[in-house]
Amino acid sequence: MNISRRFFMKTSAVAVGGAVSAKAGTAKAESRSRAPADPFGCLVDLTQCVGCRKCEQACNEVNHLPEPKVAFDDSRVLDCKRRPDQNAFTVVNRYYPGKKDEQNRLIPAYAKIQCMHCQDPACVSACIVGALTKQENGAVIYDKSKCIGCRYCMVACPFGIPAYEYDQPFTPEVRKCTYCFERISKEGGKPGCASVCPVEAITFGKRDTVLALAKDKIKKDPGRYINKVYGEEEVGGASWMYISEHPFEKLGFLTLPKKPLPTLPETIQHTMFKFLWAPITLFAALAGGMWVFNRRQMTGEDISEERGADNE
Amino acid sequence: MRTLFKPLLIISASLILIAGGLFFINYDAGSTLSQAFAAAPEKAPKKVPSPPKPPEKVNPDGTPWSPAAQVAAMERAKEVPPFVKKVKDETAWERKQRLGENAPTLNDQDYAYVVLNSPIVNKDQDMYEPVRFMHKKHANVTGDCLKCHHASADEPGASETAKCSACHQEAFNPEFPERPGLKAAYHRQCMTCHEEQEKGPMGCTDCHGKNVPDHSKLVKLPKNPSPTQVTTECLRCHEDQGEDMLKSAHWLWKGPSPYTVDGEKRVDSGKATNTINNFCIALPSNWPRCTSCHAGYGWKDETFDFTDKSHIDCLICHDTTDTYAKVPTDAGMPYPQLDLVEIAEHVGKPSRKTCGDCHFQGGGGDAVKHGDMNAILYYPTRKCDVHMGDLDFQCHDCHKTRNHKISGRSLSLPVAEGARSCEDCHTSQPHHGNNLLDHHLNRHGEHIACMTCHSPVYAKCKPTKTWWDWSKAGDKKREVHKDKYGMPDYFWKKGEFLWDESVQPTYAWYNGTVERYLIGDKIDDDGVTEITQPVGGIKDAKSRIAPFKIMAGKQPADKNNRTLLTPNLFGPKGYWKNVDWDQAFKIGAEATGIEYSGEYEWEETKMYWSLNHEVTPKEMALSCVQCHESLTQERSCDRCHQDKRDVDFKALSYKGVDFKTMAARGRDTLDLVEKTDYINFKALGYKGDPIIYGGRFKQLPLGWHKDGKEEQ
Repeated sequence: MNISRRFFMKTSAVAVGGAVSAKAGTAKAESRSRAPADPFGCLVDLTQCVGCRKCEQACNEVNHLPEPKVAFDDSRVLDCKRRPDQNAFTVVNRYYPGKKDEQNRLIPAYAKIQCMHCQDPACVSACIVGALTKQENGAVIYDKSKCIGCRYCMVACPFGIPAYEYDQPFTPEVRKCTYCFERISKEGGKPGCASVCPVEAITFGKRDTVLALAKDKIKKDPGRYINKVYGEEEVGGASWMYISEHPFEKLGFLTLPKKPLPTLPETIQHTMFKFLWAPITLFAALAGGMWVFNRRQMTGEDISEERGADNE
Repeated sequence: MRTLFKPLLIISASLILIAGGLFFINYDAGSTLSQAFAAAPEKAPKKVPSPPKPPEKVNPDGTPWSPAAQVAAMERAKEVPPFVKKVKDETAWERKQRLGENAPTLNDQDYAYVVLNSPIVNKDQDMYEPVRFMHKKHANVTGDCLKCHHASADEPGASETAKCSACHQEAFNPEFPERPGLKAAYHRQCMTCHEEQEKGPMGCTDCHGKNVPDHSKLVKLPKNPSPTQVTTECLRCHEDQGEDMLKSAHWLWKGPSPYTVDGEKRVDSGKATNTINNFCIALPSNWPRCTSCHAGYGWKDETFDFTDKSHIDCLICHDTTDTYAKVPTDAGMPYPQLDLVEIAEHVGKPSRKTCGDCHFQGGGGDAVKHGDMNAILYYPTRKCDVHMGDLDFQCHDCHKTRNHKISGRSLSLPVAEGARSCEDCHTSQPHHGNNLLDHHLNRHGEHIACMTCHSPVYAKCKPTKTWWDWSKAGDKKREVHKDKYGMPDYFWKKGEFLWDESVQPTYAWYNGTVERYLIGDKIDDDGVTEITQPVGGIKDAKSRIAPFKIMAGKQPADKNNRTLLTPNLFGPKGYWKNVDWDQAFKIGAEATGIEYSGEYEWEETKMYWSLNHEVTPKEMALSCVQCHESLTQERSCDRCHQDKRDVDFKALSYKGVDFKTMAARGRDTLDLVEKTDYINFKALGYKGDPIIYGGRFKQLPLGWHKDGKEEQ
């Protein structure tokens, strides 16, 4: 991390000041939407997914991730539920939502998970140094040069996506799906997973286009799909969206509010910082502490003795 | 310090030298001992034989070998037709209504065989080999072209059956977000249908071969590595494959024998243990010669360690340079001159060459054992084998392999790691179209194996051994004559032979199981001992008439114990060195654990060998009249079917193999010209031609024949 402590203190001070002044200017204590106007989107049609894990393999290749312990064509890994981690930005899980075939065998359903690239990402607003940013093309990307390793993003993400390189003692990074930012920034570029999917369960395009496609698919085949596009409105909408024949909660998807999650922490934070009363409280607390400390010294009490007495 | 260092250095250096010298002596003695005995009885300087040259990829006429249909299909696959922007907006039902009788049919097909390998599909990722797609077969099975060709261009005069790639091209076309790209279109279509029908391949690698990565960047070997060093390097990444190999029939030379009568539950049968044949008879005591085809190194005697992975010979199956070869007499060791680094850096999938190097050369020479496999199949013509010659099939395209267990079975050996049949690909209704002839041919499939018609003669490209008389062996002075095919009729080491070319097979009922003579079994006292024999009969519904090569001969048997003997032929005490049968039988009997009474005699034996390769193109299959004499008459088909003057029944029933033409092209088929009752109905248990007397489970309902009332 090539950021000096001095620089960090300076920028945070400026940032805090800026935020306070900006927020002080607006009467509302609510956050402003960071959603870009015309982002890219991916639609995952879960009815198409066959669980081949080619998306995982492609992701591994295009992001130069380490080779997995179990080969990608070994479907035994589907036997347990996995989460994306620092070495796998996307994983496919298998569920048995209860549907059976003619021989009374449960029919599996597969769900690919990765960073949803929210329109109003909680991780971005939780990041106090701006290491995570929402891009114009929809990607939420990470700048390792800014990250201080606080891992607030991991706590903030409603989908539990960002992972941390706990195994890297010196240069740990927060890791998650990049939306193949560099690939999609190029003309005609597609994310690795989408371009490789053998059944095109993932459709890549402008978010509006794929959302319209999702709605069109549901409308044309209402018997096949449940009437919901997951990711359309969840936490303010995401760049990744899903359609399915099973209720989403049976496929490991969380039921989330429509409101962008940043609203809550940002409201609290912005209320706290409004009119500078938070720093005032801080300074008051510090002053209070100093006063107590001073008073003890003045009364000549021995602090160590007092501690020892406490322990008894 | 220095003074101490110097003597230490000298001591260690001399130790290394001594060790090296010892190793050299050991290695030299161990690896070439057998060669020395085989090739040079006197202590002459050892001549290291040079490895054979790889077969040339040329046709008989000298042009470069290329499988015509495959090359054409690959070319077609590369074409990208103009993108169809607008398709007719109609449902499948509406489309059917509109087309009505004009819907495309089987006869509208341009290509029966297609390769799915568009540059569009490979644009983003090229992990897999192209997929073979039997276009006509699929249309026949689905019976509905519109199932795949589900839309057509909205242009006047546009074809109703455009290529898939006309509508489906690049994925995620923003103008047509609802239209899947070509790769997805293929996959959705194929997988949905296979799942619905619960038929056909389902997994990725069932259709696709994986592209083998370039191993020249992965293999790390020193200069001039030993074969086991190469294997160790292979195992560095492919440890599981090594484990799999240790359990395979190609390593153990024994295994489950599910199709052997009374041996269904056994797992110990095989070349390594208890099988015998009438070529070089049996493996025990003859190891170094026989095991030169083993997929391992150094199986010199019964002490070979079958758990040692480092002795697996990976290269014999995975060489792609066509240069790897094993010394015929050195227990599976390769020629020392070979550049093993170069070969290891170019490993890939097995090919006709790697499989054929052992399987074409069975019995000690090309085409000796198998009537339907020989070195011509390295690069065959279409007429020699339609799969390999026309479509460039490799062995593994049919003999699907999982965990180094290779599917397929034979009559000659009991071990089977899975079965393979023509129907797996061609379905039980292989003759497409719905005319009368197809109907009859498909019905034939219930009673006749495909190869019966589709391989009218075996050994049609190269003569094969059909008779081997060991009793005549040992006469070093006997003059060797060449027969009409140029093959020797005698060899003092082995005895008298007969070779045969373009032979009419022997036909027998076969239900898939085999009766097998195993070492130690009693011989047949009256007549010929059958070492392998197909099981089946006219009354057995599972049996079909199948063609076989009969290998006959005379081999030694114990006069008193009534068992076949297993002579020690190869090695210092073997018959080929000392010309002493008695000693050869003693050593051989010891190695196999059977008793030898001291007296021997010559017993006539017979082996059935199944014929599954050298599949001829359909225009060279047996014609109707070659079996059914009744169809040679002018109005025979008309008896059952209404007289349709637009069908030339006579021409139809004569369509097929023409032995006269074959003979004119140099094949030995003159004796088969104008032969009728080709498969010999009476020998197979029929009263005669089934057209006259009725089939095996029903009589013809016509009642016009005199004695057809009797029960069949």
